[in-house]
Amino acid sequence: MTKAEVRATINGRERELRVDPWRTLLEMLRDDMELTGTKLGCEAGECGACTVLMDGKPVVSCMSLAADADGRTIETIEGISTAEHLHPLQDEFLKLSAFQCGYCAPGMIMSSKALLEHNPHPTEREIREAIAGNLCRCTAYVGIVKAIQNVAAEGVS
Amino acid sequence: MTSIGIDAPRVDGPAKVTGQATYTADIVLPGMLHAKVLRSTLPHARLVRIDVSAAERELGVITLTRDDLAGIDPYYGAVLKDQPVVAIDRVLFAGDVVAVVAAESRDIAEEALDLIEVEYEALPSVGDPFAAQAPGAPILHAERNTPEVQFLDMKSVHFQADSNVCSIYHVAQGDFEAGYAAADHKFDDVYTVPTIQHGHMEPHASTAYWEPGGKLVVHTATQNPSVIRTQLAEMFSLPESMVRVIVPYLGGGYGAKTYPKLEPIVAVLSRKAKRPVSLVLTREEVFMTAVRHAASVRIRTGINNDGQIVARKVEATYDTGAYADIGPRTCKNGGYASGGPYRIEHQDLTSYCVYTNRPPSGAFRGFGVPQVCWPYESQMDDMARRLGVDPVALRRQNLIHEGDTFVTGDKLIAIGLDKCLEEVASAIGWKGIESTRPMPSDKPGFVRGIGIAVMIKSTMTPSNSAASVRLNSDGSATLLTSSVEMGQGPHTALAQIVAETIGLPLNRVTITFPDTDFTPYDQSTSSSRTIFSMGHAAQKAGLQIRDQLLEIAAKQLEASPGDLQIEEGIIAVKGSPDRSLTIPQAFRAHFGTPVGSLFGAFDFQTTGGLRPEDGKGKASAFWFLSAAGAEVEVDTRTGKIRVIKAVTVVDTGKTINPRQCWLQNEGSMLTALGSALQEEMVFDNGQPVNSSFLDYLMPSMEDYPDEFQSMLVETPHPEGPFGAKGMGEAALGPVAPAIGNAVSNALGGIRLRDLPLRPERVLDAIDAAAASGAAASGAAASGAAGAGNGGEAAR
Repeated sequence: MTKAEVRATINGRERELRVDPWRTLLEMLRDDMELTGTKLGCEAGECGACTVLMDGKPVVSCMSLAADADGRTIETIEGISTAEHLHPLQDEFLKLSAFQCGYCAPGMIMSSKALLEHNPHPTEREIREAIAGNLCRCTAYVGIVKAIQNVAAEGVS
Repeated sequence: MTSIGIDAPRVDGPAKVTGQATYTADIVLPGMLHAKVLRSTLPHARLVRIDVSAAERELGVITLTRDDLAGIDPYYGAVLKDQPVVAIDRVLFAGDVVAVVAAESRDIAEEALDLIEVEYEALPSVGDPFAAQAPGAPILHAERNTPEVQFLDMKSVHFQADSNVCSIYHVAQGDFEAGYAAADHKFDDVYTVPTIQHGHMEPHASTAYWEPGGKLVVHTATQNPSVIRTQLAEMFSLPESMVRVIVPYLGGGYGAKTYPKLEPIVAVLSRKAKRPVSLVLTREEVFMTAVRHAASVRIRTGINNDGQIVARKVEATYDTGAYADIGPRTCKNGGYASGGPYRIEHQDLTSYCVYTNRPPSGAFRGFGVPQVCWPYESQMDDMARRLGVDPVALRRQNLIHEGDTFVTGDKLIAIGLDKCLEEVASAIGWKGIESTRPMPSDKPGFVRGIGIAVMIKSTMTPSNSAASVRLNSDGSATLLTSSVEMGQGPHTALAQIVAETIGLPLNRVTITFPDTDFTPYDQSTSSSRTIFSMGHAAQKAGLQIRDQLLEIAAKQLEASPGDLQIEEGIIAVKGSPDRSLTIPQAFRAHFGTPVGSLFGAFDFQTTGGLRPEDGKGKASAFWFLSAAGAEVEVDTRTGKIRVIKAVTVVDTGKTINPRQCWLQNEGSMLTALGSALQEEMVFDNGQPVNSSFLDYLMPSMEDYPDEFQSMLVETPHPEGPFGAKGMGEAALGPVAPAIGNAVSNALGGIRLRDLPLRPERVLDAIDAAAASGAAASGAAASGAAGAGNGGEAAR
């Protein structure tokens, strides 16, 4: 079977991969690149745990083909912080304990990052609509919304 | 206290917000194969023929079928070993495990499933506990293994032979018939709750391999590492020391990851493959692996004109699905809690755990109690309405108190339920009987109402938790524990307990992940028992270290140990801070150089258990007490309910970490809101039809109430660390009836008895009440075909 060539900028680095044409972006990230911070939750695009940014837009990587990443810029949870500095959303999630089991947190943070880049000052209603595709069963979302609001108020994203 | 009662930041936080936290599916082992499961397409069938030869031949996969079970005990189960690793002669639900394949990739494994030929002979199936008990119903487990009394509390459960009734629990006091006959008012209703699913974001996942020396190693997303070790040791006739169970972070559990799930499959398959085998379920499979018991509950209550409840009889029938799992305990615990937290002279409580051809039901946050709290707290408001009294006052009048004897014979201690009730009433804005009337909405066609409910729940008793604490020469400490971090926060809270006990800075305490080669026995990370039981063990182990330090320092500082204190890792004479030692200095004094370790270890067993003959004894080491309040808005044209405000109050005993306790309350609240309004697994001819997040709607970020409060009260328990009791699931039970009562109040007394409160049920209830013209007088409406419904029986 012919492999698909994928040349993509992943977390700031140029990468070249050869993948099966049916391979999902989630599988490529987790299995081929060991970027396991992106989580598998439902394999159907319904829970948001696998959310990554493709050219700045949130996509559910379980429903995206790896081949479609060719020529794109991909950001995952591993790519938004450095050893010294967390992303402001990560800081705020930490401060407010906006997670419990943590399984939804990477996707939640990536969706939130996309929202704030698109709409730096969302209302609470806008946040709740925008992130409604990311499910969390541990918390009641309250801390997550508050964390996004705090980051928006500080004007950084 | 410096480390207790503070919002200590979660120790797992940095790993979790950066994607570095390891969950089972993140673990890749050299040579690891990926497994996929072939599942039954029928709810009940004889397995006539299964042929894996094409799959093996064409794709080179390793297969597991009933032909691969020689030399092992193929059955497992928490209470009854009634579940085989793969189907042997029959399949018992649509989704039962028929065969498993292991391949180099998930794609190949998936492809191989299509090459397996299976021939079934369909058998009649039973879809609910009443069909299962009908004459002529097929018996699902004719040859049942004798219950293993590994868990002492199961002695009070009566297992049934040659019947689909798996087990019965019964407890009584007084004379229900006489008390009911003499009561001024009689209520006789049937309430139902459907099958729901836990919705943990991380699917079940397990990986196993065999070491050359014959040791079985399992990395698994389980809440019970110690129990998994025992069950696998029994399956393979191995010493427990030759089974190693390692548990990384869990992406949520809520009971779904208790007791064996995938571990037997990967253990057997990796033995055959001679390579590591990993199995991660799809979301659809998760819905077939663990669910919450559907239940039908008949509740009869006699109450006098003065508001005294005098008699109550409850028959709670739980659908435990195809295999027992922990169902007999779930139903037992639901059974004795079904009378509610009230002083009732005459009680007769029975719970039935019934097999059906449905996915196995097991532990689910609340553990059998939400199914009975929904009836008793709904009926409570109906009784108040009939008597014309304030339902909060009616509860106040009948509530259990400190020192009372529960129906099980337990002497109740650390009972702050009255505080929970008062706090919730105040927070929801309860104004007495006027709060039972509909409140106007500014939107035409909408009505509003508020409601409250309370709950009592037990914890697994007796049970064991052992902890081992090691103090290193640099003053850092490690707690070795088999408690599982699944989001509820034990790594943070147990560190707080150890730090406070020894007198260390919080950041000097590290908690291990469960690894049964190293961490001591813990019965279960469930039943909200970790802080109480493991916390108690960790505290006692920490005290042993503290005592050793004090003795070492006393010699060195020429003081008596009683005159010393340890704070922030400094041992000092009280009142003379200049006479002090650091921990490295104490080690130097003791060992000559700063090397070595100090150890503490403690095995805490809670005492209790119920007698087989009368179901009485001591049911619970401590009691969960909680209250909930809700304000709802009902669209009377569409039947849609919106929860505007929700309040929960839980008695924690002592709050170790307020923020984490609030999170536990909030999560319980939202899960309960889902169960109240929208969640239900639907089956069509035994086939689950909504096993996906698209079709099974859990609350999303758009669904939480705009006003939200979670509060904690503290009634210290003498055995709890610093007085703490468990609290993690306490808020779940009363939320659905609080919403139901708010809806009833909004609709002038119309009562819905079947969850979830879907819009069409609300509309049907409004229509039925209008047709009978009885809404204002407190009539009932119900979508269920249940005997006895209709408010006051003697009407």
